[in-house]
Amino acid sequence: MKKILEITLGIVTSVGGFLEIGSVLTAAQGGAAFGYQLLWAILIGTVCLAFLVEMSGRLSAVSRHTIVDAMRERFGFPFFFIVLVGMVLIAFLVLVAELGGIGLSLQILTGIGFPWWAIPVSFLVWLLMWKGTFGLIEKGASLLGLVTISFVVAAIKLHPDWSGVGGGLLPTMPGHDKARYGFIAVSILGASISPYLMYFYSSGVIEDKWDESYIGVNRFIAGLGMGFGGFLSMAVLIAAALALQPKGIRVDKFEQAALPMMSALPGWGLLLFAASMLVACFGAAVEISLAIAYFFAQGFGWNWSEDLEPSRDSRFTLVYTVIILLAAVPLLFGVDPVKITMMSMALTAATLPVAIVPFLLLLNDPIYMGKHRNGWVSNFVVAIVILISFVLSVISIPLEITGG
Amino acid sequence: MNLVRDVLDRKLVDREDCDMGRVDGIVMQLGEHSQPRITHIMIGGTTPWMRLHPGLAKLAEKLARAWGPRRAEPVRIPWSRVVTTGKDIRLDVKARETGAIDWEIWIARHIIERIPGGGQEEAE
Amino acid sequence: MEINVELLLGTKVRDVDGIDVGRIEELRVERVDKTCLVEAYLIGASALIERLSAWTLVRPIRHFLNSRNLYSVYRVPWQDMDLSDPKHPRLRIAQRDLRHAK
Repeated sequence: MKKILEITLGIVTSVGGFLEIGSVLTAAQGGAAFGYQLLWAILIGTVCLAFLVEMSGRLSAVSRHTIVDAMRERFGFPFFFIVLVGMVLIAFLVLVAELGGIGLSLQILTGIGFPWWAIPVSFLVWLLMWKGTFGLIEKGASLLGLVTISFVVAAIKLHPDWSGVGGGLLPTMPGHDKARYGFIAVSILGASISPYLMYFYSSGVIEDKWDESYIGVNRFIAGLGMGFGGFLSMAVLIAAALALQPKGIRVDKFEQAALPMMSALPGWGLLLFAASMLVACFGAAVEISLAIAYFFAQGFGWNWSEDLEPSRDSRFTLVYTVIILLAAVPLLFGVDPVKITMMSMALTAATLPVAIVPFLLLLNDPIYMGKHRNGWVSNFVVAIVILISFVLSVISIPLEITGG
Repeated sequence: MNLVRDVLDRKLVDREDCDMGRVDGIVMQLGEHSQPRITHIMIGGTTPWMRLHPGLAKLAEKLARAWGPRRAEPVRIPWSRVVTTGKDIRLDVKARETGAIDWEIWIARHIIERIPGGGQEEAE
Repeated sequence: MEINVELLLGTKVRDVDGIDVGRIEELRVERVDKTCLVEAYLIGASALIERLSAWTLVRPIRHFLNSRNLYSVYRVPWQDMDLSDPKHPRLRIAQRDLRHAK
């Protein structure tokens, strides 16, 4: 029973990682432009991510090493360093977007422009990591993250056509604007399959001291946790399809993504949207900052843990401190978080193969996995994900240019 | 044992279970007619950067001499101190005494501890 | 003379006749008490394939390539390797006398 309660790791990964500014904006854009037609992209992204997160957890629970540990040890320093540079650059952009998302949510609530929130928000994110333990972050984000269920309530209140929703789960070509359709599909997949989620989850398994006995629970938690996030994203898309598409409203601004909830829940809608985004983006900002710090510390062999006093893992602490400080800078100058979001989703999609290909090899390595190596189903799924990631990497930048 | 697969880039742990970094390099002693021997494990310094490009190693050396503990040389641990190999490499040393965590200590004392709530790096 | 093993990886090896044999991919060593002695060098066409060692996936691929003479890994005993110039390692024997690694 206690192990099942560890679902909080799954939910925090999901709320902080899956449901964040990128997935909300791309889902809202998809629903506003193409109705239910892009639900399949969220479904595929969710399934792929659930498998990848389960594998991350399994690798760490069995080997007591994180993905980054295994990557450095199996592929060597030069390969690790290339992945580090790529991952940090893109994760940094996503972090700027998430801090911007918190700022935009506060702008909705207070009327004060988001650049003014850059420093206070960055400070609060940093303070939670400085003072908090992994358990506190996990459980706090999970509990607060439940407010995002308001997206589901909004979607249901708008009376979706369920047969249309079912139809949207199968890929179809749109009748119009194919480039934009492709771009949003790629962005949804890039927003869903974020490598930093896997690094965070894998580190979380070590922080929570899971071992081989958690393998079954890990499967359940990864599936349920990512399923929860995917379910929320679908709700955002469905609500946008119902509230925005009939009116021909595009989602180019953050506030426009709030319109569906305002239609469904008059009076409360805007407040609930801002609160949900605040929590989701806050969780994401913490997760990304930690993922970057974990990557450095694990790759270079430093001490690391959220449960240690900052001075006991000083290099790990310094990394997340510097990263958050730097991430506030573009927002201070008023750089549009929405533009950064869309760019970072496309870049994530473009660089996925580098993050995913090592998975196939590591999850089949008997030295790390013992008898818990991938079966043919998991290998098949990873192979499909790699194929998808190669396709995305080729088409995402051209689509960003033509359809973005 | 395979040296590259089983030793290089592995995490190092001291006798008190403290993380000491990773095996960034391995030194081999060649004799005229004798069998080559592995003599040292190298940690940090310019060692990992040399594996990428000598230019990066020079840059890393300049930066390392400019601040922090002002140490650019890698830490050399004699192979005789290796206790076990496996997923991690256990050494019969105390991390603090080898210099392998000098940067960790310096950053703790000069930056982290000066921020409220940073705690206390263990006193020597 | 001291050599950095991590910088030896991937260097091209020529045989006694100057023919390209492959690249140094791995060192087989033996631990004897507190010493560690180099027994042999593994030379192959790709340092990456040997390093990865994910037997369930890579080994079949290697066997396939090996059996079609597309990829070979040779085991070179320490006596047959001349590392006096570490940037240009040379064998003391000819390629035809090399043995395949298991």
